Amino acid sequence: MKYSYHVIIVGSGLAGLAAADILSRYGFHILVIDDNAHIGGQLLRKLPHAAAAGKRFEPDRLKRQGARLAARIKKGNVQVLNGAQVLGIYPEHILLVEDSRGHVFEYRAEALILATGARERQLPFKGWTLPGVMSTGAAQILMKSSGILPGRKTLVGGCGPLMLVVAAEILTNQGEVQAVLDQSVAAMKLKAVTAGSAIWPKLLEGATYLARLVAARVPMKQGVRIVEARGRDQLEAVVVASVDADGRIVRGTERIYPTDTLAVGYGFSPNIELPQQAGCAVKFTSDKGGWIVDVNETMMSSVADIYAVGETTGIAGAGKSFIEGRIAAWAILNKQGVIDWQTYETNTRPLMRQRDRQIQYGRFLNHLCRLQPGCYEDIPDETVICRCEEISMGDIRSQLSNDFKTMNGIKKATRCGMGNCQGRTCGPILFDILSAHSQRSPKAIGCTSARAPVKTITLGALAKMTTNTAQDDESKGNG
Amino acid sequence: MFDLRIPSVLRGAKINIHVNGKALTAYEGETVHATLLAAGYRVLRKTPKTHQPRGIFCGMGVCYDCLVTINGAPNQRACMTRVEDRMEIEVDEI
Repeated sequence: MKYSYHVIIVGSGLAGLAAADILSRYGFHILVIDDNAHIGGQLLRKLPHAAAAGKRFEPDRLKRQGARLAARIKKGNVQVLNGAQVLGIYPEHILLVEDSRGHVFEYRAEALILATGARERQLPFKGWTLPGVMSTGAAQILMKSSGILPGRKTLVGGCGPLMLVVAAEILTNQGEVQAVLDQSVAAMKLKAVTAGSAIWPKLLEGATYLARLVAARVPMKQGVRIVEARGRDQLEAVVVASVDADGRIVRGTERIYPTDTLAVGYGFSPNIELPQQAGCAVKFTSDKGGWIVDVNETMMSSVADIYAVGETTGIAGAGKSFIEGRIAAWAILNKQGVIDWQTYETNTRPLMRQRDRQIQYGRFLNHLCRLQPGCYEDIPDETVICRCEEISMGDIRSQLSNDFKTMNGIKKATRCGMGNCQGRTCGPILFDILSAHSQRSPKAIGCTSARAPVKTITLGALAKMTTNTAQDDESKGNG
Repeated sequence: MFDLRIPSVLRGAKINIHVNGKALTAYEGETVHATLLAAGYRVLRKTPKTHQPRGIFCGMGVCYDCLVTINGAPNQRACMTRVEDRMEIEVDEI
């Protein structure tokens, strides 16, 4: 059974919501699909009972705008499917979707907007699979969504601004931060500060977090790398060491931090799997966080009427997402003949300028999180690379010496990237390993391939699909 | 045990769930992974190949490391599921 819409938007972060808001104002029949239980993506993630606690003034302008947007979407006639995942996109814009009850449906639209966001990037170290080692994002989500601290005392490590944000949030929530261990050194950060004015507000924001950490006397170290997580069944201690200019561990500088919680992250990777599966061309741009969906100036991908917006077209934060969602909406309205070219131009010209500034900030952000090739050459053989299939660095090294030097080659030789997460965690890592170990171009190394279903699903759910009927309880409007 | 629940947070109604048959109090609105962490369940499963312990990692539905059995359904992502009254959760024993 198929349900038809003018436009289906995948992802309800600022990009998806901004597009839905404009399109629905013009009477378009819109469906927004998101795998989270709430709309608003990572930026608007909040405690389910926070609203009842009284409205506190939100100092962040983007969050204020986002909250207003989410409120409009909830009240308006946009249909929202939360807790649902898109399994695949097929010709004629047909989507296979699993809803929150595990029922599978087909949906169809005249145009699609893919606003699938980003995930955290990691640098594997020995023992990083131990419970108690989590991403900085996971630590933040525990506090923001459930009001629970990641640990009694949390060690924060990796690189990039999210470390500071999470450490400051732990303090705000009366938790303890053991130390903040930044892998990059000041000289590298200064090198990143070459972009224009777009980054100054962000630097200021970073400085306020830093001030809070300094005031709380949180030890902060630069140029140190997480080397090992130790523990029997869960984390008990973290070994760190200084790194040289190439990112290699300096032997003899190791230091042990006893802790049961480590929050670690190394920047972000765009979620390109769904656009890739739909046939959208991708390209590698290190300034934008790696493999991204290639879009034209109207945000349309290489596939007609499939648009990609937000982090999936380049990591730069919610500001860029908010802009790109609106550009795609105006472009669709123009393409469908609802508004003329002049109106499209008037609405998007200022957005294009703002977008350039956000991309500038993104370049700074991605530079901050850049890891040197030496980091990857230094990973010991026993370190797990593919967490799902339990493929080690040693497994990969031995295939590298067998001359498997592409993403697909290593995948076929080792099963790296073939588990439950389908390479979402190890894909960007494997790419960086291959780049560090060869002179090949990003294009020659390639990108993890994505096939439907792009998310795990039981065969039972697929088999029952034809008997499913529309669910009325989760839908509003006329599906 | 140290209480990981942030004191200033306004919580939903108290609900009762079971973890491996043992009664546990949770609060409406919490995700399963957060409730389990607060109760000290850090190891959520053992890997099929080498029986290594795994727990919360990405916290946002990407990594599939926090898989638990919920109301009889295996391999559910604890981080993407909200707790519900009388939910039966099974985690691998250490």
